[in-house]
Amino acid sequence: MCVAWVALASGFAQQPPLAKDPGPFLQPGDFPEDKVPTAVAGPAPHLPDGRPDFGGNGAWYPGFNGNLAETTWKGVKSADKHVDVPFLPWTLTTYNERVENRAKDDPEAKCLPVGVPRFMFDPYPFQMIQTRNQVVFVFEGDNYLWRIVNIDATGTHPKNLKPTWLGDAVGHYEGDTLVVDVTGFNGLAWLDQAGHATSDKLHLTERYTRADSLTLKYEVTIDDPEAYAKPWTASNTIHWRPGMELMESICQEDEKSSMHMIGK
Amino acid sequence: MKYCFLFCALGVMHAQDLGSDGVWLPAHVADLASKTDVPFQAWAKLKFETNHAMQRNDLDLRCLPPGVPRIMLMARPFEIVQTPNRILFVYEGGAHVWRQVWLDGRAHPKDPNPNWLGHSIGHWEGDTLVVDSVGFNDRTWLDDAGHPHTEQLHVIEKYSRTGRLTMKYDVVIDDPGAYTQSWTSNSSLTFRPGGKLAEDICLDSPANGTLPR
Repeated sequence: MCVAWVALASGFAQQPPLAKDPGPFLQPGDFPEDKVPTAVAGPAPHLPDGRPDFGGNGAWYPGFNGNLAETTWKGVKSADKHVDVPFLPWTLTTYNERVENRAKDDPEAKCLPVGVPRFMFDPYPFQMIQTRNQVVFVFEGDNYLWRIVNIDATGTHPKNLKPTWLGDAVGHYEGDTLVVDVTGFNGLAWLDQAGHATSDKLHLTERYTRADSLTLKYEVTIDDPEAYAKPWTASNTIHWRPGMELMESICQEDEKSSMHMIGK
Repeated sequence: MKYCFLFCALGVMHAQDLGSDGVWLPAHVADLASKTDVPFQAWAKLKFETNHAMQRNDLDLRCLPPGVPRIMLMARPFEIVQTPNRILFVYEGGAHVWRQVWLDGRAHPKDPNPNWLGHSIGHWEGDTLVVDSVGFNDRTWLDDAGHPHTEQLHVIEKYSRTGRLTMKYDVVIDDPGAYTQSWTSNSSLTFRPGGKLAEDICLDSPANGTLPR
């Protein structure tokens, strides 16, 4: 009983409403994914030693998923499921500001790294190259980045990590799923284009499962005690584009746009 | 026991294995032409002298990719990821970019879109990886010193692993737009077993904030 009163008194019941979806910026049919011929899915491939195979002749394309807690955002399909995000007051305020000022301070627009998990919700194709002891992610955008996941069943991160945009990632295979534990973030990247914020206490658990030859199921648990009242989980379905190769994309080339992003 | 240092350092190595368990550290070569007379065309000599005097024009300082071969001359670690049909170079320095070399027998595209890292195809000649690259834009410098090039730049790189911890790097610069004939240079790399790449985001470094744009 006492707990309920404390919760009410501390404002959970009266927290300000979420900022509204800004609405479509492209019409259905204008997105690249709407123009790709459909291929027929086969079973998920495996490497000779039985590990799931996340590669092949092609690339993964997440599509534009602007909000990892909403199923539609800006007029198109977004994350796989809606999440009632357990905001702390400052992350709710920050989120609302970012949505309402049209993401004018988005670090990605300044060619800074998209970050994790946003890379799995942004429209940049990527590939996963598996070696014995690593999974190397290479991305076409935002600035032609790479990300390395070290495979280590003990799940141990180095001590005294320097805070970074992409964090320190340690992975292991659980059957057909690659599980990646990520920590050591600098708290500057946004979780998505909408603007879900994080702190440098962010700890992610990512799960990659190739459900069939054309489908990658991505699930991420966001555990950040300084930003959210409890861990929450977002998910996305990422599609395989047979034959797609990555092009070099250097955001920083002639970057003159972000200074004109003034919001409203 | 006293030979252990030698043998342990040599380890067991296949020469076409470019190191899957560590990182490579190139020697810093500021001037690719320190050991050679460069067959400049007149404009390229002038451009080189201008670049050399105006280091603030160096786009590497604006966090743009250093290009080839400069990215191999910067004394920043990188990792080589080998797959049967493609080799990836993953660089800590420069702009946190990567580069791919196709080994699947394909040719260069007929009219490649000029870019920072070019289009690269490779093959093995014995234990030497030969990488042939075209399709560059003309905005990068070949080295810190400021040797220029045009979109006609054609680079041939040869990577020869000479020991567990050593690699020889030979490069041919062929650019009929800037030089009267092709010219060569070389460098060396050292392997760091067990080494890992750090994250270095140039645009996020304090020094970058002081640059004029």
